Amino acid sequence: MSIQDKKVALYPGCSLETSSSHYLKSLEKVFEILEIDYSIMEDWSCCGATSVKSLYQDLNLALNLRNLSVAEEQGIEELVVPCASCYQRLATTEYDLLQDKEKLEELTKDTGYKYEGKVKVRNILDFFVNIIGLDRIAEKVTHPLSEMVIACYYGCLNTRVPREHTFDVTEYPMSMDKLMQTLGAKTIDWSYKTECCGASLFLTKGSIWEKLVGKILKDASLRNADCVAVSCPMCQTNLDTKQSHVRDKYQIEESVPIPFISQLMGLAFGCKPEKLGLNMNFESMKSLD
Amino acid sequence: MEITEINNANNIFQETSLCYQCAKCSGGCPVAEEMDVYPHQVIHLVSLGLEERVLDTRTIWICTNCYACSVKCPNDINITGIMNNLKEKAIEKDVKPKVPEVYKFHKVFANDVFRRGKAHEFRIMGEYNLYTKDPFKNVSLGPKMLLKHKLKILPPRPVKGFSKWVSSLIEDKNYMPK
Repeated sequence: MSIQDKKVALYPGCSLETSSSHYLKSLEKVFEILEIDYSIMEDWSCCGATSVKSLYQDLNLALNLRNLSVAEEQGIEELVVPCASCYQRLATTEYDLLQDKEKLEELTKDTGYKYEGKVKVRNILDFFVNIIGLDRIAEKVTHPLSEMVIACYYGCLNTRVPREHTFDVTEYPMSMDKLMQTLGAKTIDWSYKTECCGASLFLTKGSIWEKLVGKILKDASLRNADCVAVSCPMCQTNLDTKQSHVRDKYQIEESVPIPFISQLMGLAFGCKPEKLGLNMNFESMKSLD
Repeated sequence: MEITEINNANNIFQETSLCYQCAKCSGGCPVAEEMDVYPHQVIHLVSLGLEERVLDTRTIWICTNCYACSVKCPNDINITGIMNNLKEKAIEKDVKPKVPEVYKFHKVFANDVFRRGKAHEFRIMGEYNLYTKDPFKNVSLGPKMLLKHKLKILPPRPVKGFSKWVSSLIEDKNYMPK
């Protein structure tokens, strides 16, 4: 059965509606060009992110059960999740609940939401590389990014899920690298692919936060990357918005643009930068100036 | 990684008893240098039944929830899950959070989500800054983000029936022990 026989929906999550609306905008554009038949999931709610699961374990489960149940009720078979944090919450809760039927039953009784395990929670990288496929993506490339050297940054949560959900190597993934190579770009071998960027400490512990961000940007910069590609809205905001402050402190000479994978795909497909929301990125892409 | 976030005191204990102190979790932790007790030491103390001793550490609050430790553990102990469990337990037992700003941020964020089913970043930033008594803390950031349309002043449209649903879980079914 091909993917288009299945009902595909996108779970946007809170960030894609606000701080990362340029991610959603560029994804919609790219989906349109790739002729993907999909809808935006209706009636979704927040996954609770790091905060809810840090303080209230059962509410974290309830929130994610609600989303899985609502998706299943809508007949969604492939739930594509662009945000790494939402993805990790949904995939992990699904695994947890299907393992522990007793807990699932208890939660169903309390929350009024049931779940039978019919929804495949799909990471956006997995969706592009393994479901849509690199061949189909390559066919749409009209403006190859052949001059571009990209550091692919996966961040912490894209690959840190239960084994059953794994779509790439946990410690040194390559799916985003393959995707960027398909667009004609060169990707680099570097040390911070899956190191945490400290987004959860963005507002609270500045001194720790800037060390984590500084190390990532410094390594990418020393290896002459033109930009750091991301697929997580938390990583994008975290590495981009207060970058100038970190650059001064860590002696990083040049600006390091932080584009989303979908913005780079859009550029390779010949879209105008403003159609991809690139004006919302703080650090602008040099090649576009 | 075998994630077992559905935990109660008994299975935390069971899980930590598998630890043979290889300390890969501490070696791979991106913020270990900021901690007062290293992750492998937390696991050791819990497995000895001395959980009380780790509830007032910086460690449990500094943890960024990146799961580097959990995926590195050769015995599939979900260390990150345990860190969260310990935070919840600290609050339940009235142990003052050692890094209060992190606790406050999580609380502000969670309450905002419970209000309408979606996070309103503008309000979360504002409310957190008020708490720090330093409303100008990210003063250069806010307007820049507004200009770039990265922040929205108006809240997202509430998810239908959500706040009532969460309230019933919290009030009638004790889903927020404290």
